Amino acid sequence: MRRVVVTGLGAVSPHGIGVKAFWSGLAAGACAIRPLTVIESEGFRCRIAGEVPEAVAGSARRTRADRFAIAATGEALEDAGLGVAERADAALVVGAVGGGMLEAEAWYWAATRGRPSVSLPAVRSVLPCAHADVLAARWGLRGPRHTVVTACSSGAVAVAEAAALIADGVVDVAVAGGVDAITRICFMGFNALKLLDPAPCRPFDRARRGMSIGEGAGFVVLEEAVRARARGVRAYAELAGYGMTTDAYHITAPEPEGDGMVRAIRDALGQARETPPAVQYVNAHGTGTPQNDRVEARALERVFGEGAVLLSSTKSMIGHTMAAAGSLEAIATVLALTHGVVPPTANLETPDPEVRFDCVPRAPREAVLDCAISNSFGFGGQNVTLLFRRR
Amino acid sequence: MTGRARVVITGVGVVNAGIVGDSAALGAFLAAPRPAPGIAEGQVARVPASALSALIDPGDARRLSRVCQLSIAAAQLAVRESRLEPTRGLGLVVGTEFGDLASTHVFADGFLERGPSGLSPLLFPNTVMNTMAATTAIAVGARELALTLNAPTVAGELAVARAVAAVATGQASAVLAGGVDEIDPVVEQQLPALGFADRFGEGAAFVVLESRAAAEARGATILGEVAAAAWRALPARPWGVGRQRRSRAIEAVLEEAGVDAAHLGAVYVSASGDAARDAWEHAVLSAALGPQAPPAAALARLLGRHAGLGVLRVAAAAWTARSGLLPAAAEPVTAVTRVSSRAGLVHGLARGGAHVALVVRAA
Repeated sequence: MRRVVVTGLGAVSPHGIGVKAFWSGLAAGACAIRPLTVIESEGFRCRIAGEVPEAVAGSARRTRADRFAIAATGEALEDAGLGVAERADAALVVGAVGGGMLEAEAWYWAATRGRPSVSLPAVRSVLPCAHADVLAARWGLRGPRHTVVTACSSGAVAVAEAAALIADGVVDVAVAGGVDAITRICFMGFNALKLLDPAPCRPFDRARRGMSIGEGAGFVVLEEAVRARARGVRAYAELAGYGMTTDAYHITAPEPEGDGMVRAIRDALGQARETPPAVQYVNAHGTGTPQNDRVEARALERVFGEGAVLLSSTKSMIGHTMAAAGSLEAIATVLALTHGVVPPTANLETPDPEVRFDCVPRAPREAVLDCAISNSFGFGGQNVTLLFRRR
Repeated sequence: MTGRARVVITGVGVVNAGIVGDSAALGAFLAAPRPAPGIAEGQVARVPASALSALIDPGDARRLSRVCQLSIAAAQLAVRESRLEPTRGLGLVVGTEFGDLASTHVFADGFLERGPSGLSPLLFPNTVMNTMAATTAIAVGARELALTLNAPTVAGELAVARAVAAVATGQASAVLAGGVDEIDPVVEQQLPALGFADRFGEGAAFVVLESRAAAEARGATILGEVAAAAWRALPARPWGVGRQRRSRAIEAVLEEAGVDAAHLGAVYVSASGDAARDAWEHAVLSAALGPQAPPAAALARLLGRHAGLGVLRVAAAAWTARSGLLPAAAEPVTAVTRVSSRAGLVHGLARGGAHVALVVRAA
């Protein structure tokens, strides 16, 4: 099987536009979860979120999520130094959930009240696959293209799917990642499930009360390792393995023993030909809900042993960015390897005794890292683990 | 791409407006094709409630949305025909264009009518497009990879192509690949305004794919072989049709399958009544297959465009390879022609350029 390396990174996050802003925020342990402004929140228990704090350039005809995705993919392609000719055959795999739902909601809300205010063509972008068509046309990507929807693990699945296309020899280069803008449906839904903390989320804290939602886009350029070396391009890390499994247990709750998570982690280790002691850091799914954090910690303990890895949650700083979460967290993991710095778990005051790991509370930690994994889990028991090795 | 396993079809399940059943029901329909009720009048070809309720456990019928029921019903039919043991490692790939928009509308309406107190926590998970895959995975015990692929027009055949790759490369020993769509009333009302000129239908279709070696070892009945599958993109604006005719997807599958275009017996196309897109697909196929292009079948004229149809066309191509029969492309749509070759092409092309090709042949 061919080796796959990461040669380009692009991010739009609640810390701002660009990978530099994203990493600066993470490395400082800054929490970007603030009062919600993109949509109305009156009457809801939770009224905060991780919003992208600045306007993203782009045509007003594009949806907010499309603008995020264009900015992040543009940065990743530039970072990788891929010109028009070099990217023509590239694969494009997009993880998405909400698509252009934010704009479609505006139309539906107005239409239901008898005063349509949004042009109907904008509503055509509601489907998650719209992002891929927009990105392919914008950047001239004509290789295999597909859109994966695996709920909150979509971004990570997209990265794994792209890696598979390279490893299997279908393409030499791929652009992959996830994108989501905050939508009313998502915000209202998690409120209805009572899964949102009214305060910024506190993953792995004994007093955690739920998650915070967020938005953004994270995209990477993946390349076959020999080709990347021949181009003389910098490889941030090797995507050495991945695992994708399904709980087949419950539509929203994880399987209580974490069996599916364990299989995903072990599959990633097996594909990378690594053993558990090789992994020093886990970028957790770490949502901040009581059940998810407990089950994830249990799964990690089954694979690595109690306290055997450093563990932290990116969501504690930017919220749960839905389809973008898995790819933004993959980028955070790659940058942790690159910089030798583990981003902290913000807002963690009193560690949960059931989470028997060092969760790097509040302040970043310098560490020599050679191998790290990023976990992503989604509704429907969709488990994904990405394993990165430092180059 | 060395060491790839050969991938065969061992089970088929179909639930749509014209067909309910396994490969035998599909074969019976294809041997005597007829338009589903309503489709000739321009209506959405819908699955009768009685047909669905006969296939679904009453508890599931109360608990699950209709599109999830369609998915589960077709998936269970396919698994049943394959006689695959549920304990084996089973993956799942589901293609869909619209997901569960019906539940999304009901969820939103709850808020619009009664504010936050009108929101249903039970409905919210259905607003995420992987809800059909999640419920189907639970129903059939699929615990390996489970993907939901979203694409216009080609979601079903794309799901099969991705599943073929998973089996061929050993990512899963068996994969249930399917497509499912439901047209909810809000979407149906907006289709003309959104520029859709297609004939639409709804329903689900699944195939069980496994390695030929594994299928033979357990004595499974092999319904056909997917000799090659590829997906690429042709340049086009979002929602637009393009002008490029050269198809790298078709080139890739013919090469991988070792089949010359002149030796294809049939083509199952994605033509669905969208004149501009259909013309583009015709041009692409003409360029790829030349003047001696084999006869084509366009099942959307009979059953309406929906993600299940892409999967059904793969199963239909296997039937054609077995039987030597092909539903006619020209009027009358109920005619059947005889074809000589035991290999056929399944082709899908969407507005925006998503593009899928598969070569299917007799086992």
